[in-house]
Amino acid sequence: MSGAALRRVNLESLVEAQGATRAAPPLLLSADAYFDLAGEEFGRRLLLTTDSTGAEHCLRPDFTLPIVQAYIADGVGRPAAFSYLGPIFRQRETGAAEFDQAGIELLAQPDGDVALDQVLTFARAAISIYGITPQVRLGGVGLFEALLVQADMPDAWRPRIRNRFGHTEALQRLLARLEAAPDLPREAQPDREALLEDVTAQMVATGLSLNEGRGPAEIVDRYLEQQALDAAHVPAETLALLRSYLSISGPALQALTRIEALAEQHRLMLGAPIRAIRRHLNALGESPVVFDASFSPRLDYYTGIVFEMTGAGGDVLASGGQYDRLLERLGATAPIAASGCSVWVDRLEAEVRA
Amino acid sequence: MSTPSLTLAVPSKGRLEELTREWFAENGLTITRPGGARSYLGAIDGVPDVTVRFFPASEIARELIRGAIDLGVTGLDLIHETSETGPAAVQTLKPLGFGGADVVVAVPEAWIDVTHMHDLADVASDFRSRHGRWMRIATKYITITRQHFAAAGIAEYRTVESLGATEAAPASGVADIVVDITTTGSTLAANGLRVLEDGVMLKSQACLFAARKPDWSAEKAALMESFLTRLGLSAAR
Repeated sequence: MSGAALRRVNLESLVEAQGATRAAPPLLLSADAYFDLAGEEFGRRLLLTTDSTGAEHCLRPDFTLPIVQAYIADGVGRPAAFSYLGPIFRQRETGAAEFDQAGIELLAQPDGDVALDQVLTFARAAISIYGITPQVRLGGVGLFEALLVQADMPDAWRPRIRNRFGHTEALQRLLARLEAAPDLPREAQPDREALLEDVTAQMVATGLSLNEGRGPAEIVDRYLEQQALDAAHVPAETLALLRSYLSISGPALQALTRIEALAEQHRLMLGAPIRAIRRHLNALGESPVVFDASFSPRLDYYTGIVFEMTGAGGDVLASGGQYDRLLERLGATAPIAASGCSVWVDRLEAEVRA
Repeated sequence: MSTPSLTLAVPSKGRLEELTREWFAENGLTITRPGGARSYLGAIDGVPDVTVRFFPASEIARELIRGAIDLGVTGLDLIHETSETGPAAVQTLKPLGFGGADVVVAVPEAWIDVTHMHDLADVASDFRSRHGRWMRIATKYITITRQHFAAAGIAEYRTVESLGATEAAPASGVADIVVDITTTGSTLAANGLRVLEDGVMLKSQACLFAARKPDWSAEKAALMESFLTRLGLSAAR
């Protein structure tokens, strides 16, 4: 058996050996769920087609969503594990639009730490089939959220900062804006009733519905909140904390030590999320591991710890992490522990040939 | 082998056709349309090795990006919209100074709390939890919208394709805000919409573009060179 064929067989056996249900979702899926979950940014990668009723379908762009949807439809609650290997379809700048991914999804497992370890071990094992020692990059979504909750600032700023986490430019722009905020004396707040009347009149005059979409109360309250925020500054010390924290990136143990020092200096309790990250370093074996404090996927259902593994060429070979908010987003009534990863088989094969 | 020739595509109708032909005339080239307004084939007086084709402006953008035509006059907005890789696939030889318009983000006048893109980012981020759906943007500029919203860090929205009267979408309930093209902003204002202070995504105008084709024969490259020289231009390599 030739090298490529043998690697494929080994990957097949690894996927089978996960003690999981082998998942094979349909190739043609409703596109709506993807747009709903991941928005236009991911939507532009889809290969779309429209049926005679006008409904949009896409060629399966990933395994996670259909696997999780089927799990929810079956009635959630029971721990479940799924593994997969097969083609997915995405428009990409380079490479064919059809390519293989392998991966696992561990849902509602009793111990989220054990589950993430299995995910990390799977990703490492898959990559080592190709003889590659990847560079591992870890990110701490849970760690950042813990820091954000404790940092001293007006509450209304927390979701605004959280929303930009993972988008370095947008977050830097927000911090710069907060740093530049002028120290204006607080003006008298405009009267809420008068504003409501104005906005309602304006909406009626331009034919906007008052109860579909943003209504007058939402607009006025946000306007007033903004006025209040302009007066309620984020303390300079907090901004400095956020900047120092986000700039931390380096070998995992050193980076975590720096974060501990920062936490101590600012009297933040970050012990639990930092310990959680430390525990997983073992599952990563010999690979060089970098902890990057600003690293996070741009999707708000990620929680806890996230990771990506890259090859010599810098391409992401495997990525995943914990996403305890995903099932809720897809219709489950309570958060359910979830972790998983996907492995880019075509990139692994390309890395071997390079 | 056939003798090499160049294909120049110009807009097939309306004001854009007139202004394009005027621009070439001012530069000493008379574009003729022997079959009249219903014909799609034309020529340039005294320049037999250039074939003129009359196409709708959006098709010119597409064919330039594909490399199916060599030269074309169309809007910069259409080059950006037709494909994410459009701007890289063509060479802008000359902005022509007409057909100017901006692609802008506009919100209902009543949204007094939204003046900048960063306000929109905040509104978009909790739109779903407040209203059970994503914020909707009506536009015919889906590619441009996606690129600019991604750069602004806004991921939580859906586009609704709108091929006409985009400015009416918020009032008709089809969308919450619009991305539209405007010259003076007066149509938007008349529909109760206001352009965000940093809401200009693209300043567009009609330009003369060339396809980027590295595989041209020496004869064809020479032909292009001499045609551009006539227009007082040179092809940046």
